Order: sequence, then C-alpha cells, then structure tokens
Amino acid sequence: MKKVKYVPSGGLAFYEEKEMLKLGKYAKEGWILEKFAGLGYSLRKGEPQDIQYSLDYQKDADEEYFAIFEAAGWSHVCSEGNEIHIFSAPTGTKPIYTDKPTIVEKYEREKKQMGKTALPFFISTVVFWLLSFLTNWGMVPKILFQVMGLISLVILVFPGLPYLSYQYKLLKLRKE
Amino acid sequence: MARNDTLEMGELTDTAYYILLSLVEAKHGYLIMQTIEEMTDQRFSIGPASMYTTIKKLLASELIKLFEDHDPKRKTYIATEKGIDLLKKEVNRRREMVIHAEAVFNRKGEQL
Repeated sequence: MKKVKYVPSGGLAFYEEKEMLKLGKYAKEGWILEKFAGLGYSLRKGEPQDIQYSLDYQKDADEEYFAIFEAAGWSHVCSEGNEIHIFSAPTGTKPIYTDKPTIVEKYEREKKQMGKTALPFFISTVVFWLLSFLTNWGMVPKILFQVMGLISLVILVFPGLPYLSYQYKLLKLRKE
Repeated sequence: MARNDTLEMGELTDTAYYILLSLVEAKHGYLIMQTIEEMTDQRFSIGPASMYTTIKKLLASELIKLFEDHDPKRKTYIATEKGIDLLKKEVNRRREMVIHAEAVFNRKGEQL
C-alpha cells in the first residue's frame, strides 16, 4: 500500500478554513500532513488521529514563536519559506487566535505583502495597455505593447487574486 | 488601518490589557498565558498566535521590554514605565465605565 500521497491545495489564500478542515478529515483516515509539496501537501499514512489544523502567517518566525505554540498544545507541522506555518493540535484545543484585532492583523500583514508584489505588475499592465492605445505611429507595433500588457496581466493574477481575497476577508471581519 | 491603532489611541485591547497586567513582573510567553488563565479563573485565555502578535506589538510601542533572553525559547519580558502608566490610565478608564453603568442601574433600582 502507498505510504505517501499528494493532495493538491485549493489555494490557502482563498480557502484557508476549508483546507484546514480537509487536512483534519484526512488525519481521521490516517493520512497525516507531512509537508508542503509543490502546489499542495504531502501526506503520510499513519494511525488515524482526531486533530485540527491551523495556519498562521509569520515572517521570520523565531524559536520563541514555535515555543509559545508548543506550550499551548499546538505542534508545528510544516512551514513554507519560514512564513506560512501549519500547526496541529488535538480537536478541542483552544484556537491559535482568540481576538479579532490580532486576526485582522494576520490578514493585514499578508495583504500588504501581496500588494507589494502585485504593484509593479499592476503598473506595467496599465502602462502597456495605455501605450497600446496611444501608439499610432506604426514604428513600434501595437501588438508588442498588447503582448507585454497581457504578460504583465497574467503575472499580476498570482499576487493580485490573493490580495483581493485578503481584502475581502478583512472587509467581512470588520463588518462582523 | 495602522498596526498600532489601538495602542496609539491610548486604549488597550482586552488581550493587550491582560498581557501588560501580567508583565508588571517579568515573565516568559507561556507563563503569561498561565497567569492570565489563573487570574481570570479560566474565563479569559489567549491563543498562541494572538499572544505572539500582541507581545510584538507591545514591544514595538515600548510598553514592554525584553528582560532576559539567555534562552531564546523563553524570552522574558517586563512592562516599561510607559506601559505601567498606560495600564493605570486604562484601569481608571475601565473603572469609570463600570461606575457609569452602576449609576444608571442604581437609578432604575436594578441589580447588576
């Protein structure tokens, strides 16, 4: 029987809660999260466990960070680029976030970062698009700007959509 | 929108209030959690992510400072003078809020 399997991620920026529940369901069937793998997770076959997963964003997390989680009953499972961290704990352990201001901050931090990444591509998409309209002098082919604009747009989607997703999450949080 | 919103306004969130209160004496992260749970009879507890984020925030606004970091896993913190001042202000603000409520209910002859 297979010992390791790969499960694709639906996108942590969009479906964080659903993804964590999904991983918890796998754990009940004995498929335990081992690490991030490509655009998903690598699970290892083991004993079925009744555990819950939580995700946190923390850039440059230090030893103290993991020690505080450990002390609260949350074991560190895996991280991506020392920024995205997944923890697990027996079902019923109190959540890693217990107040709204800090939850808001979690997504503010991520939104800001995605925004920073998205901004140059947003600008180049707009600039190339405008240029493709303004060029009438045949010297520089319009198509060149159109292609460049399209390339920028395609890249923009990767940080851009998560940015919008965090923005939406924050709006919902503030309305609650 | 800014990170230190509530701190700059001179008001503490409940989480920051209890962390600052337990740091009148030096403690490390986990002991802060335990102290707060004991103090509030388990009614108020702070999750690890909220704890870490709030400690960083209190540090950045100089309301607490590093006390000792021999063991990087168990850094201890203590409230600064600025922190104690803000805490006292906050205690008085909250006490006034309670007094206001008591006055209203007393006038109506209702028990709290």
